[in-house]
Amino acid sequence: MFTLSAYKRQEPRPWSSCLIVFAAVVISLAVSALMLKLQGKPALHGIELLFQGALGSRWSIEDCLIKAIPIFLCSLGVAIAFRLQIWNIGAEGQFALGAIGATWAALTFSDQPGYIVLPLMFGTAFLGGGLWGLIPALLKLKMRANEIIVTLMLNYIAILFLDYLVYGRWKDPGSFGFPMTKAFSVSAIVPKIGATDVNWGLVLCLVSGVVMYVFFRFTRMGFELKVAGENLNATRYAGLPYVKLVCVVMIFSGALAGWAGLIEASATINRLQPSIMVGYGYTAIVVAWLARLNPLTIGIASFLLAALRVGVENLQLELQVPAAFGGIMEGMILLTVLAGSFFNEFGFRFRRPS
Amino acid sequence: MRKNLISALVLLAMLGTCLMILSCGEKPEDTAALEQLKQENASLQEQIASLQKENDELKKQLDELMKKAEVKELQVGFIYVSPVGDAGWSYAHDQGRLFIDKLDGVTTSYVEAVPEGPDSERVMLNMARKNYDLIFATSFGYMDPMLKVAQKFPNTIFMHCSGFKTAANMGNYFGRMYQARYLSGMVAGAMTKSNTLGYVAAFPIPEVIRGINAFTLGAQAVNPDAQVRVVWTKTWYDPATEKEAAKSLLDVGADVIAQHQDSPGPQEAAQEKGVYSIGYNSDMSAFAPKSHLCAPVWNWGPYYKEVVDAVRNGTFEPKPVWYGMEHGIVDLSPMSDMVPGDVQKAVLAKKEAITSGQMQVFMGPVKDQTGAVRIPDGKIPEDGELLGMDYFVQGVIGTTE
Amino acid sequence: MNTELIVPLLAAAIQSGTPILYATLGEILTEKSGVLNLGVEGMMITGALAAFVTAQATGHPALAFLVAGLFGAAIGAIHAIVCLWFLGNQVVSGLALTIFGLGLADYLGTPLIGQTAPGFNKLAVPLLHYIPGLGPILFQQDILVYGAILMVPLLWLFLEKCRWGLNLRAVGENPEAAAAAGISVLRYRWIGILGGGCLAGFGGAYLSLAYTHLWTNGLSAGRGWIAVALVIFAFWRPGRALLGAYLFGGVMAFQLRLQAVGTHLPSSLLLMLPYLLTVAVLVFSSWKSKQADAPAALGVNMEPND
Repeated sequence: MFTLSAYKRQEPRPWSSCLIVFAAVVISLAVSALMLKLQGKPALHGIELLFQGALGSRWSIEDCLIKAIPIFLCSLGVAIAFRLQIWNIGAEGQFALGAIGATWAALTFSDQPGYIVLPLMFGTAFLGGGLWGLIPALLKLKMRANEIIVTLMLNYIAILFLDYLVYGRWKDPGSFGFPMTKAFSVSAIVPKIGATDVNWGLVLCLVSGVVMYVFFRFTRMGFELKVAGENLNATRYAGLPYVKLVCVVMIFSGALAGWAGLIEASATINRLQPSIMVGYGYTAIVVAWLARLNPLTIGIASFLLAALRVGVENLQLELQVPAAFGGIMEGMILLTVLAGSFFNEFGFRFRRPS
Repeated sequence: MRKNLISALVLLAMLGTCLMILSCGEKPEDTAALEQLKQENASLQEQIASLQKENDELKKQLDELMKKAEVKELQVGFIYVSPVGDAGWSYAHDQGRLFIDKLDGVTTSYVEAVPEGPDSERVMLNMARKNYDLIFATSFGYMDPMLKVAQKFPNTIFMHCSGFKTAANMGNYFGRMYQARYLSGMVAGAMTKSNTLGYVAAFPIPEVIRGINAFTLGAQAVNPDAQVRVVWTKTWYDPATEKEAAKSLLDVGADVIAQHQDSPGPQEAAQEKGVYSIGYNSDMSAFAPKSHLCAPVWNWGPYYKEVVDAVRNGTFEPKPVWYGMEHGIVDLSPMSDMVPGDVQKAVLAKKEAITSGQMQVFMGPVKDQTGAVRIPDGKIPEDGELLGMDYFVQGVIGTTE
Repeated sequence: MNTELIVPLLAAAIQSGTPILYATLGEILTEKSGVLNLGVEGMMITGALAAFVTAQATGHPALAFLVAGLFGAAIGAIHAIVCLWFLGNQVVSGLALTIFGLGLADYLGTPLIGQTAPGFNKLAVPLLHYIPGLGPILFQQDILVYGAILMVPLLWLFLEKCRWGLNLRAVGENPEAAAAAGISVLRYRWIGILGGGCLAGFGGAYLSLAYTHLWTNGLSAGRGWIAVALVIFAFWRPGRALLGAYLFGGVMAFQLRLQAVGTHLPSSLLLMLPYLLTVAVLVFSSWKSKQADAPAALGVNMEPND
């Protein structure tokens, strides 16, 4: 008899990975269609509606892009940290602090022109997110406190801090007591690109993605990071500045999430309010790992995940399926893509038992 | 109408002919003339029959056209902040949606669990692009996104719940829940023995604060010594935390628990301790039959029908609407048998007074926690003042932050 | 605060810590076998729903509790299949499991909202519950609280003294060496994941059977995440998990009571207390202790070698 055994491929094949993602998505969609059928809804039409809602028109693609921007920035941020094997799951909190920082600048310098207030906002968002990222880094380095738990707890604390500000100090007197700050002045709003609805955050994504790629590919520090991430012991023996690396990485990791918070507060809501927190920081972790921490794939994965969420809304509206259905679909797609990637990294061969 | 006239004329003509025949018939000398008249009569009768048939058919067509002109097919969309199954706020609105969905020529659909902010803007845009005629957004945070979308789609009517902004094609609406809260406060104030009432509350927003104040005023109206202790949970539906919050109030001596939460967690806590409770959103007596006294409830259906009718008739006006118990939009659920008859009577009398407009819940003098007069003696506050209420009245223990 | 308030506070601390304790113990078991499962929230809520449905249908809370464990384990099995068989990334798989579990429970549970089911009620231990102070705190709880407490030494015994437990830890520390010694890595990781899922399901069942007797969407409300954090907080030790869970529950109950007594502190700041305290205690104890006890192979899949 022959037995089936798996072996690791030397080089994962890029084209087959596309194929696998495609196959995994098809399988999940088939299961979702079956679930629709079980509810007595038109199955194929449902899948069609999903695609129509996400990619069927110019504005739906724009919607997906707008939604993908914060996911991408947070995801890029956590990916840098993951490369150094720092388990930063605190993008949610860093996002909140970035939004808070940006809002402070926007409210304080509201009468300044855009070319002054916007850079200031980017600066304060960087500081807010970056410092919030630095706290777990310092606690890890100085007190050996595990960063997973510290970043997770800091998420809750950041959200409550945001609550505290918008329910108290920063509450707009004209909001009839509702928790929101004053609307940003026009100069403090990140503008839209041309005639589209997409804001300039998209360009920020492109720039930061390219910078990250270049940094890891061509700079000394990027190289050090790569080495350090692959082998922590080697880092110490090679005398790489581990402490400095961790701090720098966490600052930038937090700052990117902070900028995502800035874009959401400034470009899409035009003020700070508690509903800005919708869990992009957690979504980012999924995206970063799914994309294997690679900036380009993070971009693709962010867009696809945003597209799925936008598409599910259309499905909800047209077929009146519950919102939870979207969660089931998303979970299924992630799990099948994950399981499917096995076939990319491993090959099979039949062996005659010896 | 003209055809009707013709047929009437024809009938008249026929009558005339018959009279002529009768008057002529007495002297049937000219049989030829009689024959001729008979023939004429027959042909006229034939004409009448065919005209009547035609008339019937035209009437039918007219009816159909009238019906079509009257019942314009209306596509109505709803956006909810939480899943409709939350048995709370969104559920109450969805009951209203189902109410208008039954009307002829109205189709409704909804999207649930939409976060306030950019996601809600996208959902509204999608509805407007799909040529929805009327869109209801049922959470405060949908206000700014809705305003943006309303400006882009002038032919769609937008309705926002619990906000304060309007546009040419956007109205806002809300219910005076505080009136029902006041009544529930009277029940609680009459039933308490410790004079300490517990209030489990979600978030310190004006709607919740107003409810707590009205509840307190109601309790003090029947029991001047009543105090209300407030615990914020910062969650709308986390039954375990809400139950724990109720227990913490019971521990400090509260013997009636009221709530502004979507889950019945606090009701359970009250029943386990053997004290009374007051529900919210819908009659929660099923969860705590031994402790549930009554509940202030929402009833959006009739108002939603009113809006649908107004949009159909073209009489829609984008004005702020804040209806109270007189429109049935808010109400107090039937009181339990545990509430003594005289208390029930007093509460119903107060309800009558509020409904008829004789009595206002927030009638000066109203003092805040520090004792400062917020509403001067005899003054009835403006709606804007009530909408932005951000202080607790005297007798509430807790903070609005 | 006087004793009249402290006794119910401590009793409440134990009660609100119990669901977290079950889930934390489960995650300790899973992580000791070298598998990181961030899907605790998903397993918990599925367990909560399964328990509620069973209790409602059969009227037997004890049976419902066991079914919750089964369903928790069944959701955990997805993680096992993806990570153990298909070598998927454990972080993504766990997060996906949370998304999936929450979606599934909401989807299937929606028709049940607004209904109640029979569950466990408080049970006074004969004689012992008369002890002033301690009696009401420790000996007037429902049976699931005692079950959770009992689980602590059991898990400790399993991990420290039992041959299977030692094997499971070996697999978590150094799978290659364990495999070389003839221990089936996959089998023990399956045990770790299924056991962890089962305990997470129990934690969920506590929410829908004992803490409350009702079902709503998102009943677990983030408690699974707290459990994941408490595992690290506990340095992977069952005893410390008990401490951590009760401490967290206690601070949560404390801040609510502080509000009930009447305070001028904003509620947002009060709600930060449990999280701040967790960080503070973690920082302090990590600084004191020499090593953190994290299983060395945590989160690393074992690749089939040719």
